[in-house]
Amino acid sequence: MSALSLYVDKGSFLNKLHPYTKLLYVFAAILIPLIGGRLLIFPLTILFSLILLLTGRVFRRALPLVAFSFTLIIVIFLIQGLFYHKNENPLFNIRILTFYREGVIYAAGIALNILNMLLSFAVFVLTTAPQDLVEEMEKNGFSPKFGYVINSVFQIVPQMMKTRDTIVDAQRSRGMETEGSLFTRIRAFLPLISPVVMSALINTRERAIALEVRGFGRRNKRSYITDRKKSSADIVISIILAALILAVSVWRILSCLS
Amino acid sequence: MPIIKAEHLKYRYPNTEKLALNDISLEIEKGEFIGIAGRNGAGKSSLGQAINGLVPRFYNGAYGGRVEVNGRVVEETPVEEMCEFVGLIFQNPFNQLSGAAETVFNEVAYGLQNLGTEPEIILSRVEQVLKRLDIWQYRDRNPFELSGGQMQRVAIASILCMEPDIIILDEPTSQLDPQGTEEVFRVVDDLTETGITIIMIEQKLEKLAHYADRIILMSEGRVIDFDTPEKIFSRDDLSEYGIKAPAFTRICREYGLSLPDGTYPVKLEDTKRLFQEKNIRPLKEAETGSCLLNSKADDTEELFRMDNVDFYYTEGTPIFQKLSLTLNNRPTAIIGQNGAGKTTLVRLLKGLLKPVGGSIYFKNDDISKKTVAMLADKVGYVFQNPDDQIFKYNVLDETMFGPLNIGMSEEKAKEEALKALELMGLKGRENVNPYDLELYERKMTAIASVVAMDTDVIILDEPTIAQDYEGRKLIGDMIRHLSSEGKLVIAILHDMDFVEENFERVIVMAHGRILSEGSAEKVFSEDEVLSEAKLQKPYITALRELLGA
Repeated sequence: MSALSLYVDKGSFLNKLHPYTKLLYVFAAILIPLIGGRLLIFPLTILFSLILLLTGRVFRRALPLVAFSFTLIIVIFLIQGLFYHKNENPLFNIRILTFYREGVIYAAGIALNILNMLLSFAVFVLTTAPQDLVEEMEKNGFSPKFGYVINSVFQIVPQMMKTRDTIVDAQRSRGMETEGSLFTRIRAFLPLISPVVMSALINTRERAIALEVRGFGRRNKRSYITDRKKSSADIVISIILAALILAVSVWRILSCLS
Repeated sequence: MPIIKAEHLKYRYPNTEKLALNDISLEIEKGEFIGIAGRNGAGKSSLGQAINGLVPRFYNGAYGGRVEVNGRVVEETPVEEMCEFVGLIFQNPFNQLSGAAETVFNEVAYGLQNLGTEPEIILSRVEQVLKRLDIWQYRDRNPFELSGGQMQRVAIASILCMEPDIIILDEPTSQLDPQGTEEVFRVVDDLTETGITIIMIEQKLEKLAHYADRIILMSEGRVIDFDTPEKIFSRDDLSEYGIKAPAFTRICREYGLSLPDGTYPVKLEDTKRLFQEKNIRPLKEAETGSCLLNSKADDTEELFRMDNVDFYYTEGTPIFQKLSLTLNNRPTAIIGQNGAGKTTLVRLLKGLLKPVGGSIYFKNDDISKKTVAMLADKVGYVFQNPDDQIFKYNVLDETMFGPLNIGMSEEKAKEEALKALELMGLKGRENVNPYDLELYERKMTAIASVVAMDTDVIILDEPTIAQDYEGRKLIGDMIRHLSSEGKLVIAILHDMDFVEENFERVIVMAHGRILSEGSAEKVFSEDEVLSEAKLQKPYITALRELLGA
């Protein structure tokens, strides 16, 4: 699997679901708490995403994403807890810093939202091959040329990164310093970047020929060898998700009216 | 009715002045195996691409005359339609992967999907082709993670499953190791049985002569001759067109053994038969002229010493264990399959990699402690792909980059650069932008840019890739010249005939071990070693042995 894609095939039920079903899940998990408008709904959707990640055996791979978001969340708590413009009631003190209740609640809303989005996206991204999604989109009328561009990024960019290491070695072999002061590094920039770009261009031209001789750019409709029919599970899940979104919306409208 | 018919075809690439194809008329019948021979730049690839329509439809440029393929006028047919009739396979296996497929199976299916073929037909055809090319077991692997030979077979499979009437193979093995080359030729062998018309451009003339019904000899965009391999390779003026007859033809010519029609044989079997009929045994070293001339190399001065070197990339999977080796200034070739540890070995010598255990000495100095830059003025290293290093706007500046880096004065650097460029046949090309050069010339530029650094040691990683006979000769002369100056030349090579002709010492590697080393004559007589390293003998050696010399 290419380094750029986070997807791993664990053979889990999540891997087997149709990409669109999983997309709908992302959609529902993000919308339901927002429409519901209660902070308490977030823990529910977050918990559900966590369960999915665990049962789909991709929880570990989601951890770096969560860890990354925590730095952001801490910054939000600091800024909003201390300086939120509606801050009135002090909640607690850390030395000379006073955190306010309003700011902390506001920050909690943002943090839960971030976490919720991230985890539900993780459910999708970690269990869906980008090619599968692109192919499904192509079947629904997305341009195969754009589809190719998206797919090839996942395959070709990691190859380019490998080339870069060779280029560094090739220039070091000719006595060029690549390590050291800022000035040295700036001087090394051109000899390193030019070959990367030029060899990419040369390869692209050849690859264009290779694609051309395999019928890329024909006007007829492409055919697809994987038939990802929606299973009954897909249909049931999609109906439940849609019903939930609808239910939350109705409940919210009613509670606003009353 | 001929399947391919060209009438007065003329073609010039955009922004060039010379005709790449100059007044070509020929006819090729269905099912023929046609070889195209000629020096680099003779127009071989252009002719191939004029058959599938890339010339002129992909490149544009000035086009005259008429080419008909399968009854269609090429100039008027889009390439994406021509691809149903004509398949093209070219040198670089890596660039032929579409980049859109995660598995070998999907990669091979890609073309058929573009044609809009029914899914059931695609599935059965892909399976059939993968099995036929013996890559069915890789069907779920990522194509980018395969070896060169496997990748090239995937490329052939990708074309074959589209069931074209004609397949053009443009030097399909030039970037492969001996085993990969064998794998591909075995497939080609199989193709000859299918009745598909094949057009093959190849520098390995022994192979080409073996397969081809007829050979097109090209030079400067013209078809010089179009005849049987025996007639073509028996011509007296071959060297004028930058090619050297196959080994079997040369040895028969030397012994005056000709076929009834006066031509010399091109195949091993015919050669063997002629020798046996006349009861002649070829003498050792009779033909190759392999002895190195004027080399000052001797056995005394030790340059490199590796003592019990251990090395691994990832802990637990050792590449070298207690490897010991000394190198003096005899020109040395390192041979073996991909993955044998050849590149790792020379990278350790260059200091690009550091041994995990043991020591490496250069002139009694431990290099484990030195940086690559500190060794730059002593050990030069030419990488396999010239595009990994070229970045200047003209050939001279590119060549002076290394010398200036290691502290040569501007004047001295220029002097060395000019000398090196002349040695590599690039005199007069100093002001050309390297990217306007062909691959084989860029390769020469890369070699010159390292030779100009005037180092004690020069390491070459597969210098003969993409070179024709003249290019190989130039590199051979360069090795001899540097050697005569007392420099050590180390080269990783897959071209056994080149090794036999140009190196005094040969090191055979497999699985991170040195299986054997010594003179070419000694190494190439060790059948067990060669078979363990999965290497083949040079043609002439093989023939001599076959005849019991």
